[in-house]
Amino acid sequence: MLEIILDELTFDKCLKCNACVSSCPVANTTLEFGGPKHLGPELKRLMNNQGLIDDKRIELCTLCGSCDMSCPENVHVSTLTAFAKAFHSEKSGTKFRDFVLSNAEWVGKLASAFAPVTNLAMGMKPVRKMMEMVMDIPAERQFPKYRFHNFNRVYKKKTASTERKVAYFAGCYATFNAPEVAMSFIKVMEHNGIEVVKPDQKCCGVPMFANGQMKQGLKNANHNITSFLEYTRQGYDVVLTCTSCTLAFKKEYVSFLNTEEAKELASHVYDADEYLRLLKESGELNMNFAPMNERAGYYAPCHMKAQGIGNPAMDILELIPGFKIQDVGAGCCGQCGTFGFKTEKYDVSMAIGRPMAEAVKEVDADYTVTECGMCKNQLDQLTDKTVKHPMQIVAESYERATVLD
Amino acid sequence: MGQIIETDVVVIGGGMTGAGVLRDLALRGIKAILVEQQDLGHGTSTRNHGLLHSGARYAVRDEEAAIESYRENLILKKTVPGSIEQTGGLFVKVPEDDESYIQKWLTACTKVGIPVEEIPVAQALQQEPFLTRDAQVVYRVPDGAVDCFTMVVDVVADAVKHGAHALTYHEVVDVVTEQNRVTGVRVRDGFTGEEKDILAELVVNASGPWGAKIAEMAGIPLTMINNKGMLAIFNHRINKQVINRLRMPGDADIFVPAHNVTIFGTTGINVEDPNNFSLHRQELVGMLAEGKKLIPSINELRLIRAFSGSRPLYQESTVSDASGRNVTRGITLLDHLKRDGLDGLVTITGGKLTTFRYMAEKTVDLVCEKLGIKAGCTTDQEMVPHRKAEEFFKDVDLAPAARHKLSHWAGTKAAEIESSLKNKAANFVVCECEQVTWAEIESVIPEEGRFHLGDIRRRTRLGMGPCQGTFCNHRAAALAVEKGKATVEEAEQALQHAVFERKKGMDVVATGETAKQRQLMDTIYRVSLGFREGDFQHV
Repeated sequence: MLEIILDELTFDKCLKCNACVSSCPVANTTLEFGGPKHLGPELKRLMNNQGLIDDKRIELCTLCGSCDMSCPENVHVSTLTAFAKAFHSEKSGTKFRDFVLSNAEWVGKLASAFAPVTNLAMGMKPVRKMMEMVMDIPAERQFPKYRFHNFNRVYKKKTASTERKVAYFAGCYATFNAPEVAMSFIKVMEHNGIEVVKPDQKCCGVPMFANGQMKQGLKNANHNITSFLEYTRQGYDVVLTCTSCTLAFKKEYVSFLNTEEAKELASHVYDADEYLRLLKESGELNMNFAPMNERAGYYAPCHMKAQGIGNPAMDILELIPGFKIQDVGAGCCGQCGTFGFKTEKYDVSMAIGRPMAEAVKEVDADYTVTECGMCKNQLDQLTDKTVKHPMQIVAESYERATVLD
Repeated sequence: MGQIIETDVVVIGGGMTGAGVLRDLALRGIKAILVEQQDLGHGTSTRNHGLLHSGARYAVRDEEAAIESYRENLILKKTVPGSIEQTGGLFVKVPEDDESYIQKWLTACTKVGIPVEEIPVAQALQQEPFLTRDAQVVYRVPDGAVDCFTMVVDVVADAVKHGAHALTYHEVVDVVTEQNRVTGVRVRDGFTGEEKDILAELVVNASGPWGAKIAEMAGIPLTMINNKGMLAIFNHRINKQVINRLRMPGDADIFVPAHNVTIFGTTGINVEDPNNFSLHRQELVGMLAEGKKLIPSINELRLIRAFSGSRPLYQESTVSDASGRNVTRGITLLDHLKRDGLDGLVTITGGKLTTFRYMAEKTVDLVCEKLGIKAGCTTDQEMVPHRKAEEFFKDVDLAPAARHKLSHWAGTKAAEIESSLKNKAANFVVCECEQVTWAEIESVIPEEGRFHLGDIRRRTRLGMGPCQGTFCNHRAAALAVEKGKATVEEAEQALQHAVFERKKGMDVVATGETAKQRQLMDTIYRVSLGFREGDFQHV
């Protein structure tokens, strides 16, 4: 694994300033974690041309990317920690639970096929107690519901004929747990006269990277790159509704693989709100929004922030007449993908999440808006507000406008 | 008049040669005291590449130095294993290098007996990705990397274990003579200013570039060529093996991996003053331009500091050679009774880091002869204790990187460090770049004597990493005060000295990140800690 990051030399630029440590949600919550500086650039320097040093504490890194954002020298901290995870699991093996959690797509397919049973079982205390005992998945942790009518079953379009064409990457969450998000996005695009196709796709790899399953993650990455490049080369734009998948397409594929193909694809990738903002800027956005007299709190996922694109969800939602949205201004949610589903990390997950729950409570909006399904899971557990994806709101506003017309 | 100490032999100079002489004397049962003006290895011994020569570099031009180097290379790997990394080395021919040199070099290496193996260029490039794609021919030789800091400290420690004494920060201010005989030296304690006379039957001048000064005190002529070389340190270890140019030895043609960094050099300029450690940007620029032929991305790689030291070269008839490249690296042992009619003084100079043991052997043979002692040299067999300590630190709560370092480093101090680590507060990593814990720092602070961050650095690597002590020097100083190892004044003085010294080495390479690092360091010390510009000076 070490040979893969020989080209990754940004660690050379680290000034040891600790900006990454002070912005790391985990390092700020527990002293058990070695911190992004040590487990990223520092360890890489100590291993270079000398051999591996396996540090178990790397399991506590959530790959949220806050370190990358805070680094004044643009050290690719989370790329280095992702590889440290990979060495660690190569050396120490992978728990069955982590293997299961990292295969979100495989689990999604299975859980969705038996959706009513899965959901019922996941709600049963004895089942959860068993899972806690056997798999170290805490019984108190809420799980997202699985849908039998998943997105794969309901949407199969492969070609578009409009002027602007979108190749949509749905991601595991919108596919198996929240097909309504995917369908809302397609509606929003329809209202803008853009046809959406769903190219052949595999899990983006983020849960695999997070669990040290680098090889499998990179396999998926290469699959998606090949599949989507076929579309971008025909003039399609790649748009995603999950901020973690988007970050993988934009940043992780490029920094982990360092291939021309990964770079080429990344230049065509947009977050859904970012894409709408782009349409707005070029005067193409359908501005026929119906007023919505609602007040929402916006929670920004780490992987949205890590894209460095400002706050496109709020930029778009503010266009809806009467709609009031306020940033709850909270840090990491603590769910961090698969992290929060692990017994030994549950306390840290909850400790990170509490300030977010407080912030949501303080804003006291009608509901919370966020793009990330995993952040939604934590918000569902820690707050009593409903959580919606921005596309659901935009779609509803367009729908109401059509009815009014 | 201060204290008078009596012994058999006084060794002047706590560099590698002096250390070797002291240990050889001790192993042969001769009472000896070593005096050093600063810390052990202050001079040339830690101001070099840390290259364990295979002899291949000298094979063509200086056969004797090549023979000695290869023989000592094999001996040191066995006898000082804790300070040597058997990296192996590559000799690489690039297009600029003379084709006809290869055959001459191969013939010379064969004659000397240095094992040379040609390896495919593709294989070399795979092992050393930074190496130039223009490499035409690559040979592998048994070069190695020496940690000069640990080697000098360990050799002296072993001598002390065998009954010798070493006085650091004791500068020789006079050589005591009676008629035509040297009877001892007068030294001044650098901290207290107190002067002492050390009387001995024989004085060994092993003071390297300071040799001429000592001779002057003894009233005899000795002309040394002090040939100053500059070296630069990369922020990380860019190579696995030593990389040399396959050509007649020249400037900027060696890259030596040293723990977590690579040391690159060097140059050669004759200077008058042995204390001239000046660093010039222009010299560095020249080095980088030459180094680029082996490592094309050299200008994109971060340098953390540069340093310089003088090779103490000697030749009986001084011809002018400004580069010093053509002066032998062979050993010079002068019996001043024969040479100058002055008894009681012997000078050992020239040579290489690699041949220090042999230099000591020859010197002590002469000492024995002069003192009428019959005792053979055993340093080619007797091992200096290893630094490996893998059986320790297994159940200590410690960052794996810090544990990894200690298990290759702690040596004879392993048990002491382990027990201090178990006491929770000592497992705190003070220097993050080089993973130095408080336990290690504490283990090298002398019971008596001044708190000195440079001494700690040479023994632990504190502050040797990318940040150059930006974060660890003040932590170490503050902890020393907290733990009763230093007074506030001592800690403050140590900090001022350490920061001055770190900045000096950084300034000359300070472009890009190191310029920023330098500013960050200045800001922390001057703004956050309230030091003023004038506070940082050599003390």
